[in-house]
Amino acid sequence: MTTFFEDNKRTVITVAILLLTLAFGYSDLRLTIYQSILPFFEWSETTPFGYIGKTWGPVFALVQAFHLVGLAVLGGCVLAADGRLLGLVLTDVPAQLVVDRAHRVFVWALVVLLATGVFMACGVATKIYYLPVYWFKMLSLGAGMLFHFYIRKPLLTHDVASINPVVLRMVAIASILVWFMVAATGRWIGFSG
Amino acid sequence: MLNELVYNLAVMLDDMQWSTMLHESYYMYNWVESTHVLGLMVSLGVLFLIDLRMLGYAYVDVPASKLAARLNTPMLIGFVLMFITGILLFYAVPVRSSQSVWFRIKMVLLVACAINAYLFHKRMNESVSSWDTEPRAPSQLRNGAMISLVFWSIIVMCGRFIAYDWFDCSRGQGEFISFVAGCVDGQTRF
Repeated sequence: MTTFFEDNKRTVITVAILLLTLAFGYSDLRLTIYQSILPFFEWSETTPFGYIGKTWGPVFALVQAFHLVGLAVLGGCVLAADGRLLGLVLTDVPAQLVVDRAHRVFVWALVVLLATGVFMACGVATKIYYLPVYWFKMLSLGAGMLFHFYIRKPLLTHDVASINPVVLRMVAIASILVWFMVAATGRWIGFSG
Repeated sequence: MLNELVYNLAVMLDDMQWSTMLHESYYMYNWVESTHVLGLMVSLGVLFLIDLRMLGYAYVDVPASKLAARLNTPMLIGFVLMFITGILLFYAVPVRSSQSVWFRIKMVLLVACAINAYLFHKRMNESVSSWDTEPRAPSQLRNGAMISLVFWSIIVMCGRFIAYDWFDCSRGQGEFISFVAGCVDGQTRF
């Protein structure tokens, strides 16, 4: 039992997180927590970020533009690295090299996305609190970050040639899908409410 | 004269049934706009990676020519996607878009970016054998990469700003804005 857990530690923890999330989604606890965090969202709008976001339209729009630039860079990294794992691009460059170099830029792009995202969220906090698509985006973002740093990155620290090609392809497709889901749900926030 | 011509052309597009249908369709319009953003993720993401390589901030141990050549196809696919959806977005709201300051700046910068990309590739192909494996490209190419990064970032910004009505002709702008936006005697439509 102990050996099984040690051998499949990440898989077991990931499945446990998924099951807990699922159970949370269908329980009353979700509603209780949802209601209890409303004051936090109301408070967010009273912070300097919230004040600037609400009253200085051009600043908010400028931050949105930086958010999009960060998203573009993140998309480029995902496509380059996962495209290589799928054997679609940069096939004559070692996969390990492509993935590793993309990861460095990816982290910076993610930092820009999170920083600008927090600013934007503060400006419209009580609006997004009531938008289901915002919570879908947060769920996608959480899943994307968990997948990237907890599953994809540790897996790809091993020699890529020694990993089952089917697993590699599945990881690449999942990665592309999850980040494009983050982008699509993010854009959809603008259409809602 | 030119502004009137653009306005009349935009009105002609606006009067088309398909334009109204696209504009009025909640899901279709939003899907086109979302696809425009996803196209941006593909095209600009890859382009920025190439620019960062030239500046010495990414993929410094991968030959520059190889990176640019291998990522060219996904970049072009992204641009085609962005171009098609961009035309559809213009078609859905032609009058307001053609009279938007931000849209006009965006179009000028798009032309500037196309010229910059042409010159960049020309110079790169002429000189690449001498610096291909260097961490940074020669200064002339670095300038080209920097121009590309800055111009495309401004294009993204202008694209975002189009949604805001600060300088719309319908809001009664001053002489300068009216001139840049191409307002025609207060005639406008959404």
